[in-house]
Amino acid sequence: MLLEVRNLSKRYGDVLAVDDVSFSIQAGEILGLLGPNGAGKTTTIHMLLGLITPSAGEVRVFGLRLADNREEILAQMNFTSPYVAFPFRLTVMENLGVFARLYKVAEPGRRIAEMLRLFGVEHLKHKPIAQLSSGENTRVGLCKALINKPRLLLLDEPTAYLDPEIAWQVKQVLLAAQREFGTTILYTSHNMPEVERMCSRIVFMHHGRVIAAGSPIEITRAILKEERSEPALEEVFLRVARSEEAAL
Amino acid sequence: MKTHRVAAVMVRHAYEIRRNADRITDMLYWPVLDIIVWGFFTIYLAHGGRAGGALTDFLLGAAILWGMFYAFQRDMAVGFLDELWSRNLINLFSTPLSVSEYVCGLVVVNLFKVAMGAGSAALIAWACYAFNILPHLPQFVPYMLNLMLFGLALGVFTTGLIFRYTTKVQGLAWSFAGLLQPVSCVFYPLSALPRPLRVLAWMLPTTHAFEGMRQVLAGGGFSPARFWWGLGLNAVYFALAVAFFGRIFESARSRGLLVKLE
Repeated sequence: MLLEVRNLSKRYGDVLAVDDVSFSIQAGEILGLLGPNGAGKTTTIHMLLGLITPSAGEVRVFGLRLADNREEILAQMNFTSPYVAFPFRLTVMENLGVFARLYKVAEPGRRIAEMLRLFGVEHLKHKPIAQLSSGENTRVGLCKALINKPRLLLLDEPTAYLDPEIAWQVKQVLLAAQREFGTTILYTSHNMPEVERMCSRIVFMHHGRVIAAGSPIEITRAILKEERSEPALEEVFLRVARSEEAAL
Repeated sequence: MKTHRVAAVMVRHAYEIRRNADRITDMLYWPVLDIIVWGFFTIYLAHGGRAGGALTDFLLGAAILWGMFYAFQRDMAVGFLDELWSRNLINLFSTPLSVSEYVCGLVVVNLFKVAMGAGSAALIAWACYAFNILPHLPQFVPYMLNLMLFGLALGVFTTGLIFRYTTKVQGLAWSFAGLLQPVSCVFYPLSALPRPLRVLAWMLPTTHAFEGMRQVLAGGGFSPARFWWGLGLNAVYFALAVAFFGRIFESARSRGLLVKLE
């Protein structure tokens, strides 16, 4: 297993944000981490990055305990989220240059140019981050996320601010990375058709707990409790979210 | 500790200096303005024999050294605030970068900034007010080292407070050193303080540095005692600041504040 999450929990006072979550990802797999807002997806990702200390449980990446091998593990991982920003006065090139150095990327200039071309933002390289649109910022974040050819990539809603055409291009780049370099991807998104296309397996979270895990069709059958021939994650998502509303 | 990551932090903050007018202002404008004001004041004192040459040298030397100390501790905290204001903390600390590597990179960049500011101020003091710091420099360097170390300890401490209480207390980056100035005996000797405050003053490495500086300018030579006392106190304050910061940083990770700070 490339990533193993065992009985992970995070408690803030009386609130249990993540409750005894366990799952694993095989090398080269794209796993979707789904759930309504507040399900604990982002907290889980932050624990996988060592940004939040778990209250209980263990994270193992590349067979190593994250708590003891942070530096070695993070050097082979990367992450992006449209809700995280870069120093806004620095240009795209300058920002990516800093991250290329942090990851000790060989031939950083060539790698940055390759990433900018791949995500269609070559023309923005000398622009300060402050002058970019949300969609452009998201694509620069993706350039950063792939700059070190990570073995494990954590993507928190990577297509949130992108128009459908750009989002499609981004998905092709990510799929190509998975195919060519065997990049393993943990993917969160609220775009269910996108998740159905991208992910071979899903972990569905609600109120901090894993309520179902399996392929999109298995998740659909498990939560809708019906025999279906096609995945229907949008329906699954709405069923889970509305069951909460009904309970309220 | 990996040098390429320290270098990355240095490059990041060097770009910030290039792109952010506020950082240029901090680096050059205030040290230059300070020395101009103090320079005119020494001219006023010198006219009509109100004060001798030694006093004007004390004032200008103190203005340059205090400027260095103040700028260094401020820039340590402001460097961290730059990451906070640009919401870059998650990006940085999801890389293999460690806190000690980050602080090291920031220290090197800030030493450069301080050297630029103090160098400009010293040049103006020499050109306009006939105060030449260069002959005294070899004896000043140990005191400057102590001032930088104390600035580092205060910067780390202030950053810890910002981690704990978020940007609500960011004003401390600019004001904390000012709190110590009255008892640091920057522009007057220790004997000018009321007796109960002298004990407190002796506990500050800044007091030892400025007392030592005045001894050098008065022709009394370098005081090893002032240097070693300052260094000893710095060792204590630095250890306390690092322990405090380490505890706050771990607590921020545990409480999830590292991803929510703004």
